[in-house]
Amino acid sequence: MHERLSFYIKRDSLIHRLNPLTKLVLVFAFIGIAFTFPWYWIGLFLFVFVLIPLAFIAKVSREYFFTATRLILPAAGFLFLMQALFQPIGEEIIFQFYFLDATRESLAFAFTIAARIIVMISAFTMLLLTTHPSELMSDLTRRGLPGQFAYVIISTLQILPQMQAKAQTIIAAQRSRGLDTESTFLKRAGSVLPLVGPLVFGSLVEVEERAIAIEARGFTSKKEKTSLHEVPDTVTDKTLRWILIILIILSILLNLWLS
Amino acid sequence: MAFVNIQNLTYKYPLTKTPALQNMNLQIEKGEFISIIGANGSGKSTLCYALAGFVPHFFKGEISGEIEVDGAASSKSTLDEWVVNVGLAFQNPFNQISGAKYTVFEEIAFGLENAGVPREQMKSRVEEAMQLTGISNLADRSPYSLSGGQQQRVALTSILVMQPKLLVLDEPTSQMDPIGTREVFSVIHNLTQSGMTVVMVEHKVEWIAHFATRVIALKDGAVLTEGKPSDVLTSDLLIENGFGVSRYTSVAREAKKQGLWKKDKLPVTLFEAAEGFNTK
Repeated sequence: MHERLSFYIKRDSLIHRLNPLTKLVLVFAFIGIAFTFPWYWIGLFLFVFVLIPLAFIAKVSREYFFTATRLILPAAGFLFLMQALFQPIGEEIIFQFYFLDATRESLAFAFTIAARIIVMISAFTMLLLTTHPSELMSDLTRRGLPGQFAYVIISTLQILPQMQAKAQTIIAAQRSRGLDTESTFLKRAGSVLPLVGPLVFGSLVEVEERAIAIEARGFTSKKEKTSLHEVPDTVTDKTLRWILIILIILSILLNLWLS
Repeated sequence: MAFVNIQNLTYKYPLTKTPALQNMNLQIEKGEFISIIGANGSGKSTLCYALAGFVPHFFKGEISGEIEVDGAASSKSTLDEWVVNVGLAFQNPFNQISGAKYTVFEEIAFGLENAGVPREQMKSRVEEAMQLTGISNLADRSPYSLSGGQQQRVALTSILVMQPKLLVLDEPTSQMDPIGTREVFSVIHNLTQSGMTVVMVEHKVEWIAHFATRVIALKDGAVLTEGKPSDVLTSDLLIENGFGVSRYTSVAREAKKQGLWKKDKLPVTLFEAAEGFNTK
């Protein structure tokens, strides 16, 4: 079976049962608060005291920590270094690295940025881990997102692994005809064209066929679409969404008031 | 009037000089299983697209003449209205999978979702259609994890679930192995038994001889000859025009020249050939 481009982990938890829109609002609440709340430690606080417990509640802690150590923390670490060394602010130099120097202010700034990034990616990871993509899209379509838009998102997730498999086939086919894909950089660069050509043109032909296939199944029908899966939207969901929205607004107001 | 009625149909794709269909006339009755044969560029696929409404609604181009199915005219309809009545499946099963769904069950329900069918009705219709094509056991699999024959049956089911009045199949078995071919043919055969009208482009002559009620041979965008499979598939006209005939027909033709084939009529299938050679 081909690998699917989906992070979704099928489990039964409080978070899994939430309506997809609630989870999406939750993600934006995390981002909104991390970026606007006027407290220096807010990012770290959200990460340690909200996101990590949330990972346990959602029963995806193992997968979350895997993503965190492999992707989120390295990315945030890199960003921290860049910001700390290249931000031309502050006077008080903490340490120097050749001509680059990190000041107290640039370190503080870098910390804020890195913490925000961690919160942002973590929140999205949590959403992807606990929400089936087609559930998210069918819920959003029901709420008025254009069907075409939802189709583009979902089919891209599904078709990318297929394209990858096809690229592998083309590489193998061209190599068996003696195409050099392993020697010097220049030679490999030259072999890009015979690989990309068939992939791109083949895909263009496929796109037309796929367009006909989904059209034959009434994709552009003007009737109101229905959905196979019922996505539950409870009172708890609605209440939670309003609380989150109020929290975001409060955070923004507090920010404006203090600045 | 005939169930499907094509009158003086001439069609030219955009940016081409010669028409793909030239003054074509064709009548199909309800419940027929029509098989269409012809060389590359003879207009088989274009005819399929025309029946399914994609010519001219999707491809544009110049069209004259009329296509009617069950009394409705294609020219007076829009594509999204037309596809409800005419189902289309084609060669490559992989490209017919919507890509928007994660299981076979959802994939088959895709068309019903678009048509706005209520949820409960949707489920029973999908289950029914899957039973009809014998793929109920695949319901929870990913459409991409299936074999070609299975994918083609999923594609067929996705169309059948829309309950079309006419089923148009453009070389559905051309990429199948013998097992896949048999699977697809047996599904189509069951459908025609229950009264479905089917138009199928197909090259596998022996299969056509078994199942089709009428064969239509196309050449240069027009009907060359048509009739019962056993007549059309053995006619000299076909060989003169470079059509592929069954190996049994070729053998018997050669045998006839040397006086070894006593019957008047040439065979298409192995069974007919064996029977014929037994006739003294």
